[in-house]
Amino acid sequence: MEQDEEQDIKFDTTPDSDVEDDELIQDWSQAAQLSIRSSTLPKRGEKDYEPDGTNVQELLLYRARKSMFDTLSNSARGSVVKNLVKAYYDPSEHKALILKPRGNFLHTLGKMDRTGTVWLEFYEFVYLAERGTITPFYKMNDIDWINQELPLTIEDLYMLFKSQEELDKFFVFGHLKRLGFIVLSTENCLDSFFEPRGENSSKRILSNTWNLLPQWRKTLHNAIFYSPWKFWLNKHTSNSQMYQSLNQLIPSYKAPRTQEELRKTRAGIAEKPSNFPISLNVWKPRTDFKKKNPGLPDYQVVIYNKNDPNQHFPTYYELRKIFKHLDYKFEFLSEIDETWDWNDHSYHDGKLRSKTIINSKAKVSGTKTTTDTKKLEKKKPKKKFKPKSPRVQQKIRLKNGFRSFLLAVMDDGMISFVKISETDFGSENVWYVPQSAAKKQNL
Amino acid sequence: MVKRKPNAARYKHPLPIHPIELPPLIPHNPISWIYWTYCYFTGINGLTDKVHVEFFNDKYVHIIVKDESQMIYLWEHGFFGTGQLSRSEPTWKTRTNNRLTADSDTHGKELEKVTQHRRLLRLEFKKQREKLEQELLELRRNGGTIEQEKELIEYQRKSLREYKSQQSSKEIIPQEETIRDIDLPLFTDDGKLRQLESLELLPVEAMFLTFALPVLDISAKELTRRLMGYPESYTDIHDFISQYVVYHHYRSHGWCVRSGVKFGCDYLLYQRGPPLEHAEFCVRILGSNDVKDYNWYSSLARVIAGANKTYVLCYVENLSSPENILRWWHKGNYRAIFSSYKVGEVTYKRWIPGKNRE
Repeated sequence: MEQDEEQDIKFDTTPDSDVEDDELIQDWSQAAQLSIRSSTLPKRGEKDYEPDGTNVQELLLYRARKSMFDTLSNSARGSVVKNLVKAYYDPSEHKALILKPRGNFLHTLGKMDRTGTVWLEFYEFVYLAERGTITPFYKMNDIDWINQELPLTIEDLYMLFKSQEELDKFFVFGHLKRLGFIVLSTENCLDSFFEPRGENSSKRILSNTWNLLPQWRKTLHNAIFYSPWKFWLNKHTSNSQMYQSLNQLIPSYKAPRTQEELRKTRAGIAEKPSNFPISLNVWKPRTDFKKKNPGLPDYQVVIYNKNDPNQHFPTYYELRKIFKHLDYKFEFLSEIDETWDWNDHSYHDGKLRSKTIINSKAKVSGTKTTTDTKKLEKKKPKKKFKPKSPRVQQKIRLKNGFRSFLLAVMDDGMISFVKISETDFGSENVWYVPQSAAKKQNL
Repeated sequence: MVKRKPNAARYKHPLPIHPIELPPLIPHNPISWIYWTYCYFTGINGLTDKVHVEFFNDKYVHIIVKDESQMIYLWEHGFFGTGQLSRSEPTWKTRTNNRLTADSDTHGKELEKVTQHRRLLRLEFKKQREKLEQELLELRRNGGTIEQEKELIEYQRKSLREYKSQQSSKEIIPQEETIRDIDLPLFTDDGKLRQLESLELLPVEAMFLTFALPVLDISAKELTRRLMGYPESYTDIHDFISQYVVYHHYRSHGWCVRSGVKFGCDYLLYQRGPPLEHAEFCVRILGSNDVKDYNWYSSLARVIAGANKTYVLCYVENLSSPENILRWWHKGNYRAIFSSYKVGEVTYKRWIPGKNRE
């Protein structure tokens, strides 16, 4: 479509998919090949740790620097006037509008209204302006703002941020976007893993009374086990019995791990978490993304500014609250089930996705649906499923945990991500069963 | 010297209290039924000889096991305690014996020795690498081109790889050593080596071995009195309780829990025990309302990730009032205390965008 736009994107996504390092540094020697004077330049090599008295290090540095400057100074710059996309900041909405929208960015950004105008969220507006994809203007209400243009500088744009939170959100958004992720705000999100409200609520009271029963049994059991004459009252003939007696004492939080359990946790919640709102939905880079019907996100992001005296790292209660509000592609569900299809387990605008998708496809044309199903069939055998031993599966459960979110920690422009997952050691037993005992049981 | 047992037999029991071993029950043989019932009713889980502990120092109490066989018993059945003169397993006597008698047959595979050997090899490897780096520098000084340099680096890498694989196939060479004058006081009058080492237990380990399993020859009440005296407020006992609750939680689900001080955390979790595998989890205890500075979390995460382990934040929630807990404590009702704390866990991991795109 738009050529310079295309090039822009390529720059971000090509270099680093298989780089092992933590930090991804742009390798300008690759980019230099695109510039006019294409020459072969040395790749990144061994790191030198100290000056060795020769000028080889200087030379290497010089070459690397030069390749960067060459690239920057020789690449085609500026934009074609015909392709210029103008966006106008509307102070009353705190959003920006594009009257003649075009460009690749529309796949993942902006929202079109009925008149064909695209509305950008403020952080999307600043992000696109910074990249040079759009040219920012101010929409003054009293004047003819289309003909009497008021251009904005990047500095102006930064002054229009309303709060620290908004600025932080913009930084995280831009950072992830530049790395190739697809990022949308959680506001006005129509997709959900959870069934729409108002269907099952009466079951809950019943289950509560049932839960009290084992509690009593536990107390009695503990009273016996932790008394001095326990081994007279209760004989233990295996290590498992012993451990089972021991692990009745300390209650622990159970992490919901099945679809039913997850849905149950959703029954009681109403309000949004106030201290730590889930602000961004993140999808891994993909080509078949549809803005109107994106499906469940791969990650959800909570932003925490470590230098703001009013903010703090979440406590356990706050973490639990965040977990409760998560609504994304709970990867632990699909990882254990080979036949799992997310379309059968997620809702778009209150309707099951698998149903709405088929409907919309049928509408488009009959021939297209057949090719689509063919594509799907082709995709499936790609995912090979290796059955893992129960031991390994247990390890994975413990290490990866269940529900999880990304905490974006802000430190004055630096962003660091932490993945926090709920895990559940209380439901896993790892004790060792000696070989001979295991054999005996088999006999 | 006891002959070395294979690890599977040596660490057969994960707890110091053994299950009753029952003979096979054969349905068509009534005698086996009688024998089985006999075994069932005469078998006792408890220890006939409880492990004797001593306390050392008044203010900062050390809990010590001195008897040699009991030390080994506690180590082999659940990896409790730490030898004061060893890294963890009390091996000082055997090591010294091996050293002084120069009996190359018995030089075993104590953990300390393996590490020492590995470090030695690493040191040699580093020397070798330094030599090669010197070569590279020489080339640079003599004005070698970058292409030449590349060639040399490639060649050096190959030779280093070869050096390493050659190194790992080498055997441990026992060092010859004779008895020095300074070693003489180590022997008793009849020429036997004295046992100078004793096993020290963590307070939570001792509590587990009295309160949960009757292994030590003191009562739980006595133990807490020695550890904490008569606490006047809840804050005096809060730390110990949450430490114990977490310890018991993991122990009771089959983990071998050891101190995590070497990784800056509270506990390390081994699936079976230190000689058998590396620990995979590092546990840090927090109260459910605790908030720490962000650097507290991140610095620990970096250390633990560097050791290839998983960082677990274990939150302890108090379900009862501090007054109740304190009252129960004075009554010695530890069961009620520990069961009124609830634990919840969260793993903490650095997330790198570039590695999570696909």
